[in-house]
Amino acid sequence: MGPDSAPGPAVPWQKVLWERQPFPDNYVDQRFLEELRRNEGLRQYRYWAVVNEAGFVGQQLSCVAIFITLWLYMEQGLLSPETLLSTSLVCALLGYGLYQVLTSSGESGCEPRTRLADLQSATIFLSFTFGFSPVLKTLTESVSTDTVYAMSAMMLLAHLVSFPYAQPSPPGSLSLNAALFASVCLASRLPGALHTFAMLSCALLVFALWPCLLQRLRENAPSQFTGVCVGMCVGGVGGLGSQWLGGAVLLALALGSVTLLCPLLLVWLQRHKDNIHGPWDEAEIHEDLSRFLH
Amino acid sequence: MVLKIFFPQCCNRADSGLLVGRWIAGHDSAVVLAVIHYPFIPGQVKQYVQQMQAQSGVELSVLGSWSLPKDGQEGMESFLRDLSTIFPQKCWLQISRQMGKTGFTCNILNRAQNGGAAQQEVTKKKDEEDVKSDGEAGGEEEDKEEEEEKVIFVHYEQRKVMLSQLHPIENGVPDPKTDPPSELRQMFQTVAHSQPLFFLDKYDDGPLKSTHWQSEGREASIIVELLKQASVPLCLLLSCLLSLWTWICNIRIFSLHPLRFLSSKLSTCVQLSYRTQHMRTLSSPKPAAGHTQFMRKANILVSFLVDVALGMLLISWLYRDNHITMLANTLVPAADHVAKELEELLQWLMGAPAGLKMNRALDQVLGRFFLYHIHLWISYIHLMSPFIEGILWYGGLSACLGLTFALSLLSDMVALLTFHIYCFYVYGARLYCMKIYGLSSLWRLFRGKKWNVLRQRVDSCSYDLDKLFIGTLLFTILLFLLPTTALYYLVFTLLRLVVVLFQGVLHLSVDFINSFPLFAVGLRICRSYRLAEGVKFRVLCDEPGTALHLLMELNPLKCSTVVQTYRTPTYSCYPKDSWAALVKKLFVGELIYPWRHKTTKAD
Repeated sequence: MGPDSAPGPAVPWQKVLWERQPFPDNYVDQRFLEELRRNEGLRQYRYWAVVNEAGFVGQQLSCVAIFITLWLYMEQGLLSPETLLSTSLVCALLGYGLYQVLTSSGESGCEPRTRLADLQSATIFLSFTFGFSPVLKTLTESVSTDTVYAMSAMMLLAHLVSFPYAQPSPPGSLSLNAALFASVCLASRLPGALHTFAMLSCALLVFALWPCLLQRLRENAPSQFTGVCVGMCVGGVGGLGSQWLGGAVLLALALGSVTLLCPLLLVWLQRHKDNIHGPWDEAEIHEDLSRFLH
Repeated sequence: MVLKIFFPQCCNRADSGLLVGRWIAGHDSAVVLAVIHYPFIPGQVKQYVQQMQAQSGVELSVLGSWSLPKDGQEGMESFLRDLSTIFPQKCWLQISRQMGKTGFTCNILNRAQNGGAAQQEVTKKKDEEDVKSDGEAGGEEEDKEEEEEKVIFVHYEQRKVMLSQLHPIENGVPDPKTDPPSELRQMFQTVAHSQPLFFLDKYDDGPLKSTHWQSEGREASIIVELLKQASVPLCLLLSCLLSLWTWICNIRIFSLHPLRFLSSKLSTCVQLSYRTQHMRTLSSPKPAAGHTQFMRKANILVSFLVDVALGMLLISWLYRDNHITMLANTLVPAADHVAKELEELLQWLMGAPAGLKMNRALDQVLGRFFLYHIHLWISYIHLMSPFIEGILWYGGLSACLGLTFALSLLSDMVALLTFHIYCFYVYGARLYCMKIYGLSSLWRLFRGKKWNVLRQRVDSCSYDLDKLFIGTLLFTILLFLLPTTALYYLVFTLLRLVVVLFQGVLHLSVDFINSFPLFAVGLRICRSYRLAEGVKFRVLCDEPGTALHLLMELNPLKCSTVVQTYRTPTYSCYPKDSWAALVKKLFVGELIYPWRHKTTKAD
């Protein structure tokens, strides 16, 4: 008896299991496909909105570029650590003020951090970095430069891949740690302990604090957010271009593809989306992989 | 129904008489132990049997009659029949053998049924020429009862069975030919317990004469008896000395913490306490209660004697030709040499060993630290050097207590002389262990996870920014410093392993001498029947229509089983970890064979 075998017309089929029916277990009648629904809850993307969102990815990319640029400047001695430190301090203070303003203008989140806690964190950062910078300076002395570069590149890539672009405000552990690891590796190549300290402070600013500020900006002032993103992208390309032209071109291409081309692709492919929903469980195929191993 | 009669081989040619033995309850079998010859007075026989029964604890009884008529003795039938009325039994065996013919007849008078009239006759013929080897038997059976009854004669060698100890068969399926083991065990016990029965010598002038196994060397047994008597005061003396020794050991000063800890670490002290325990076992003036205890005592005694003999050999070598001075003179330069080699090794490690990329600063710090240690050590050795000969001289005397003591002392001296290596190892391992643990927990932080202690698993966790920052900083530092520490750890672990291996060999040999069951193995080699694992039956005759005729032989115990069963239990110096656990410990940096065992800490 298969599902096609016609039963007597006297008894209508019911989709219940608790009654004994003259049908096989896998029987369904014609009404089965009536409940099929396609593309339920589909969000229709609009191109510029997607570009605006992708701007975050682009600016993170250019953040990494800006950091590398700063490191290049430091390594060649074009930028003194004192300058970098004072600039970072000013930026940090400005950013902190902006952050406080944005927090107070927006809805006050549950249990905001006190000033004292912020000060404590800052002290911990600075003292630890300052204390460890001589150790960090000699850390990779015997490791070859190529290895350090390769490790840094890997880690920065891991940072970009694992960055939580949708919710960056408590920064994702893996992405932040990878970025910090890369910056420690790079900073240990710099000529002096103070260089290392300045570089690490800068890394903290760029990778840990900047995404929090940007996220707050995106939530509370969307129009300024776009402008900041564009500014970051331009700054990243320009900065890299002053040191390494090929890199700047590559970065510009990457930025263009990420912020302009990829959203286009997404919107275009949206038409081909075909999800079906219905009152059934989706079949899960558990392949017995051990079959293939023999 | 099969009636099994265990018949001793020594009674094959005995004169006519009464069969004395035991019916094994629950099994249709009888064990014949001895033949009491004519003429006798039945009352005396009864009294004798009762006396033997009281002495041996075995339910002895008169089983039946045995007749091997000489020439001219005829017409015994009615006499034999009458005998069964004198000794009332449930079953009366009449086994007879014709001198001229090759006949062996067995009549069974069954008085329980039909008022003693039922009779069954089994005729067995047996080859006259060779009693032990396969004989020819022809049997006729007259079935006077409904049930068919057969008789199986199992011939056994009385002396071997009496002296042998039947061991349980290990994981072996019992042979279908053999009887159920419980019956066999009962039979063995019966023969072993009825030793008082065999004391009656055939040259003794007594009212009764009997045939059974008889020892041939009375003189040797007299010497053994004298020795047994003499051992009692010796044991008393020994136990007095032991109690004095125990009293000294229990003085309060020895149970203070540092001394007790030290004595538990020195293998000489361990060996001393172990030997004391052995002596206490030996010196108890009571005879050994059972076979196991007897074997244990004998093993301990023999291994003690061998140990002392080996120690004496060692002493005779040591104190001849100034060997001690030679040893002392080579020991100090050897220690110096080891220290020099270690210094060179450290210098090599402080450079760029094998082209590895070490952290220079840490490398220098560690190298200097260890160099200072070696410097300390060399000074210590040089301070000690005038006394080393004396120490060796007095230490060598310990060999008269046995080779094991000398070996233990050697092990202790090696442990003391390589203390610096142990220290290096501990420092290296601690450092490495800290790094490994730190790295593993920081790696979890790196991935944004943490170890959940309550649920024993890794959970995800959102850390604060400062924790992440400091954690990553430490992670990076530890990761880049790990190769340096790991290399130091590896080198010193290898050195430590060499020392541990040497000490392990010493301890194993001491343990081997202490625990090897020399007496049992010697018994197995010289008197293999003493330790039996079972029996095997050789069919002497199995023709259709005749009774089965079997020869029972003892299976000696396997040598490996002997060693396994009779090993003296010792303090186990065998490694407690498996190889995989050891490798894991080495990898994680836990201490292997530490001097102080950590108490297991609860999670």
